Amino acid sequence: MEIKEFKVKWGMAIDLDKCTGCGACMVACQAENNLAPIADASNKIKVMNWLVVYELSNKKPFPEHDVAYLPRPCQQCGHPPCVSVCPVVATDKNEEGGIVSQIYPRCIGCRYCMAACPYHARYFNWLDPVWPEGMEKALTPDVSVRPRGVVEKCSFCHHRFMKAKDKAIAEGRDPEALADGDYVTSCAEACPNGAIVFGDLNNPDHQVYHLSRSKYASRLLERLHANTQVYYLSRREWVRRQLDNYLDNEKVKG
Amino acid sequence: MAVDRRGFLKFVAGVSAGVMVTPIPWKLLDDASIWTQNWPWIPSNVDGASTYVSTVSKLCPSCVGMKVRLVGDRPVRVLPDDNHPLSKGGISSLAVAEAQMLHSPARVKRPLKRAADGAYVAISWEEADALLAEKLAAAKGSLACVSGDETGSINDVLSAMTGKAGSSNFYLMPSEAQPAAKAVAAMGGEGQLGYDIENSDYVLAIGANILESWGTVIRNRAAFKATRPHGEEPAATFVFAGPVQNNTAAGADQWVPIKAGTEGAFALGIAHLLIKAGATADAADFSAFARLAGTFTPAKVAELTGVNEDQLKDVAKALLKARRPLVITGSEFGQGTGAASVLAGVAVNMLLGGLNRKGGLKLLPVAGPVVDGAMTRAEMLGKDFVAYMSRINAGKDKAPAAMVFYEANPAYALPQAAKMAEVLAKVPFKATFTTFLDETAMLCDLVLPVPMGLERLDDVATPYGSGQALYCLARPVAPMPAHVKPAGDYIIALAGKLGMDLGVGTWEEVLQAKARAMGADWDSLMDGNVHVSSSTVNAQPAFGAGMLQKGIATKAAEGDYAIAPVHKLNVGTAKTAIPPYNNKTIRRWELQGKELYVAMNGATARKLGVMKHDKIVVSNKSGSISARVNIFEGVMNDTVAVLMGLGHTAFDQFSKGKGENVMQLLTVGFESGTGLSVWNMAGATISKA
Repeated sequence: MEIKEFKVKWGMAIDLDKCTGCGACMVACQAENNLAPIADASNKIKVMNWLVVYELSNKKPFPEHDVAYLPRPCQQCGHPPCVSVCPVVATDKNEEGGIVSQIYPRCIGCRYCMAACPYHARYFNWLDPVWPEGMEKALTPDVSVRPRGVVEKCSFCHHRFMKAKDKAIAEGRDPEALADGDYVTSCAEACPNGAIVFGDLNNPDHQVYHLSRSKYASRLLERLHANTQVYYLSRREWVRRQLDNYLDNEKVKG
Repeated sequence: MAVDRRGFLKFVAGVSAGVMVTPIPWKLLDDASIWTQNWPWIPSNVDGASTYVSTVSKLCPSCVGMKVRLVGDRPVRVLPDDNHPLSKGGISSLAVAEAQMLHSPARVKRPLKRAADGAYVAISWEEADALLAEKLAAAKGSLACVSGDETGSINDVLSAMTGKAGSSNFYLMPSEAQPAAKAVAAMGGEGQLGYDIENSDYVLAIGANILESWGTVIRNRAAFKATRPHGEEPAATFVFAGPVQNNTAAGADQWVPIKAGTEGAFALGIAHLLIKAGATADAADFSAFARLAGTFTPAKVAELTGVNEDQLKDVAKALLKARRPLVITGSEFGQGTGAASVLAGVAVNMLLGGLNRKGGLKLLPVAGPVVDGAMTRAEMLGKDFVAYMSRINAGKDKAPAAMVFYEANPAYALPQAAKMAEVLAKVPFKATFTTFLDETAMLCDLVLPVPMGLERLDDVATPYGSGQALYCLARPVAPMPAHVKPAGDYIIALAGKLGMDLGVGTWEEVLQAKARAMGADWDSLMDGNVHVSSSTVNAQPAFGAGMLQKGIATKAAEGDYAIAPVHKLNVGTAKTAIPPYNNKTIRRWELQGKELYVAMNGATARKLGVMKHDKIVVSNKSGSISARVNIFEGVMNDTVAVLMGLGHTAFDQFSKGKGENVMQLLTVGFESGTGLSVWNMAGATISKA
């Protein structure tokens, strides 16, 4: 299947050597995108998280052990497996910028997309979202609240993209040529370690363009050819090896 | 007209085909999809104009600077503040949910009084005022006051009130600042230790969890970020020495495993190697220190700390090679360490010529008190609340008639927490100024609700760990709930009622006086700017070798296994418990339902004969906790890593009853020389449940 190409392609370069697993990105994401808190969050199957920080281990015993943390937003595939299976076109990839959309009112909750997504980036609302009394006052006005029966996922804070474009238009700039930093996701903005760099993968003026071409950059499950827009960087070979299902004798890029 | 069978079928087929080509079924499906998602109990977005206000977090111990996004008058987001020196474009996992915490179910909404049957009843502020004034007057100086705010001028007001009542029992909750202050005093220095991480090219953190919770952590991490271009060789090296491969170790270039509580011995091992390589320092007691360090040979240090000798030597070599090395000693969990380990860390910095040097250790000026009769910062940090509680427990000190807490939760946060709660029960009258209904509030006779940092005017003066003296204001950005009162003005008025003259009329006067004392411009502070000073205290401190020699002696911990508490800001603090938006960040094998998971490496598990998910009991003479086993190879042998911040018995559905409180297992001891209470070397026995 042909990969959709866009003039502007928003993407991330996440340096796994800089991420220390603090979770600030996860909390920022929830607050920005109006995800409801849950009293028992230990059932990870039912917990709604657009962004999850996974723990990676080099699987060596103490003292040779090493640890890394991998933040996983929606990978915004160039060839998204979720889009082709959606029976109601609730998810699509057709907007300049290459962000895979999720239209909640159109979603019928069949969860085919969840089954298709190789990254477990999609979440189904098994329950209606409930905020403790009064906490709904802290909802942002930018992202609608999703009810029970709907699938949701990371949108690269699409509302911020719209705002950045509106601002560019108001200032007489080209909304299709946003400068580096005009539009950043909430997780990238929050990260105290600067582990997440966000920008246009097609624009040489953006840092992410160069980082995605680094010898240390690779993508999650790259050989599925989903052509994702999230790149992971690590100088550690064992970390890069865990980004795909490599055989022990296979050589890893970088 | 007769309709035959064929005609009827044609009609049905025609209608079916016709309907399918019209938008009707699709529109109906679409509408059904929309309207079945549009229920009155699903909150709707409320729009409004967005504004942004710069302030500082009083909730997060990192005192991170932040920009609050308001929609209308509602704070909806806490964002990083590029211009704040304690944010530098980053935000902590705790502060980032602060806007949501305004609506926490655990918030105290009105004054509460404990009734005769033990239940709380809501009372008016007038009734609360009268009760508090009556009890404090009756206490006649038999008063103790405990503050959980380490950086605010509220301590001037509280310590002045305590002093004017005739008591010297004003205490801060334990932190890293207290042993550091003792260390500075033992060195004959003055001021507050500051750490210039930004300008260092080699940062050795011994115990100090500098990339997760130690000091001004978001600023530390900004320095870490600045020296690490994506996917390139770092411009500065970060090394972490500690018992667990925690979040700091995950970011550091090198993890050096050492046993919990042996930070001082490790630092002296480094000092030994530096002196051997010719390092010296211009201090009166250098030779005494050199003699002491001379006994900390690599072999002895390896035995004491469990460090690999080669790793120790490599670190010493790298420190000598670095242009601007910096050594930071601390506790993995932000408390419980002695002055000796700080002294040992400072000594290494002195040997490296790092005192008051760019990228080194600094002595920062501290502003004096601004309220009549208030303690100086050095006096406050010299007071030891855990030691005071221990004295009451041992009958060496009388329990005060009244105890007042300000944003402090000792019933949860102190070592041997259950014992501390027992001691608190001996105090006849207890009142707390608190935002949340915490464990201490549950023990109090009077609970007085105070606004959160986002709702009040407050201040932050040079938090411990900062590299430079600074002062900034937390400005009220959200409307205050109807029945809460800011503590500053309330306590000043209360003191007046009790006939004490604190020399100030309002809380704002106190802050203005503090701003003057810090050399800051009030108007600029009120605009959200931060006053930063690059000045340092000129001093020629000694090594404090005598004190170090006494304090460094390590005692064998109880039991066969060491306990390594792991502190992560995302789990909240004793004051906040787990914020509602944060419990999703707790890892799968840290907490399951209400069950705590503790981590140990495979070798330890084999020794114990346990496997992942097995139930165990970790116990010592202070207490016991039950937990399940998680295997994590980033833990030293014979060590069990326990996540802090769980096991709350108060707060709300997001925190209460989840896991166990590791503080139950931390046994208080006393450091020789300084007499400081310490609890960073806990041991335990482990059995299968």
